[in-house]
Amino acid sequence: MQRHEQYGPQEELPLSEFIDGVPGETARSAVAVGTLNAAAKDIIEGAFIPLWVRGEINDFKAHRNGHWYFCLRDSRAQVRCVVWSSDQRRFPAPPDDGMQVAAFGRLTVYAARGEMQFTITRIEAEGDGLRRKALEITRARLEKDGLLASERKRPLPRFPRVIAVVTSPEGAALHDIVAVMRRRSANVRLVVVPAAVQGDTAPEELCYALDQVNRWGGADLAIVARGGGSREDLWAFNNERVARAVAACGVPTISAVGHEIDLSICDLVADHRAPTPSAAAETATSSRAELETHLRKLSLRVSGAARALIRDRADTLRHLSRDVAGAVEGQISTQRATLQSVAGRLNALSPVATLARGYAIARAEDGGTLSSIDAFRDGQHFDLVVRDGTVPARVDGASRPSARAGA
Amino acid sequence: MTTFEQRLARLETIAGELEGDGVDLARALALFEEGVQNLRAAADELAAAEARVQRLIERADGSFDVIDRE
Repeated sequence: MQRHEQYGPQEELPLSEFIDGVPGETARSAVAVGTLNAAAKDIIEGAFIPLWVRGEINDFKAHRNGHWYFCLRDSRAQVRCVVWSSDQRRFPAPPDDGMQVAAFGRLTVYAARGEMQFTITRIEAEGDGLRRKALEITRARLEKDGLLASERKRPLPRFPRVIAVVTSPEGAALHDIVAVMRRRSANVRLVVVPAAVQGDTAPEELCYALDQVNRWGGADLAIVARGGGSREDLWAFNNERVARAVAACGVPTISAVGHEIDLSICDLVADHRAPTPSAAAETATSSRAELETHLRKLSLRVSGAARALIRDRADTLRHLSRDVAGAVEGQISTQRATLQSVAGRLNALSPVATLARGYAIARAEDGGTLSSIDAFRDGQHFDLVVRDGTVPARVDGASRPSARAGA
Repeated sequence: MTTFEQRLARLETIAGELEGDGVDLARALALFEEGVQNLRAAADELAAAEARVQRLIERADGSFDVIDRE
């Protein structure tokens, strides 16, 4: 089966066919099969302008050669159909058997096989079935690869300085984003990375723009945005490749496609979903005043904490020194008491106390105590120390007591 | 290069640690000093930022240019 069929080698009609009048009128003027089919092709293809045909999809086959083959049928008849691979990118998804569709195409004849086929370029499935199916398929594939997981979501920078805006440079989305930024006097550089946001080339251009954001590396946040539009207008943002490009973006992403009610696959993959481009701008750009307030709060926290900490340490020190002083004082009074008792005991042993009790000490002139009879020589001068003074004295015959004697 | 966000995050950490129990004084002073440096740098960065709308241009050699849009 070939994409562009020809009439087949156009044989020259044998002259004999004209001799006997209208070709094919008699056995002698029989036309070749190729001639018949070529004529049929001319007539049929000339008779129909492209048109919509409704019916049920049946016997769908995606052939190895890339083309889709199926029948379109109703209760009375069926027609063979083909969708060339080059036309398939307009289709959100291949149709399924049993789907009720309206198909747009032209009736063609495949002369080589004598077959009539409806060559389809668009299909509208009942209840937007193809888009629903496409969304489900894409979503399931992304989910399988973990691209929709909430753990994947990156936090947005508090203060992005350079925001890449992937959108149409002429679109309403960019206009809205710039307006919000101006109004909030957010100190931010917006760098527009142009891409078509609708039409056949949109998915490719969006992927390319996101890739540029990565290769450039100058942004710290990317917004993928498009203003409101029909479901078909927004369809590029449900493209799996676009979704994967958003997921692969090196910086956190905000998806802002259409209005609040439009949820796209890009919204699911992006780190943050904004209901509108304006909302994306609001989310992305804290105003300068907000950031200044935030910094001031942090400053107060740091200095407050440091001050509190130092005050706390000073208190501790004060308490500690008080405790130490108390302890030392206690120690001192204990020792004083000990000292007093020792002093008392010492006092009891002191010779002064002995004198007080009426004893006397004999002291030699050199200050030594004369405590034995042997220390005295006759006529020696010495002092007699009594309780309240000293009496000069002289030895007048010392003798060892024979029995018992006083001093 | 330290980003603004990293500075803010560091400041949160420093404030948290300073507010917590059992920071020794030398550590506290070091944290405080680091905090002050971060605050100053963040404030400078904020003051230096400017609002612009530009457009990314890719040259044939794959290098990039950012040009003012208006």
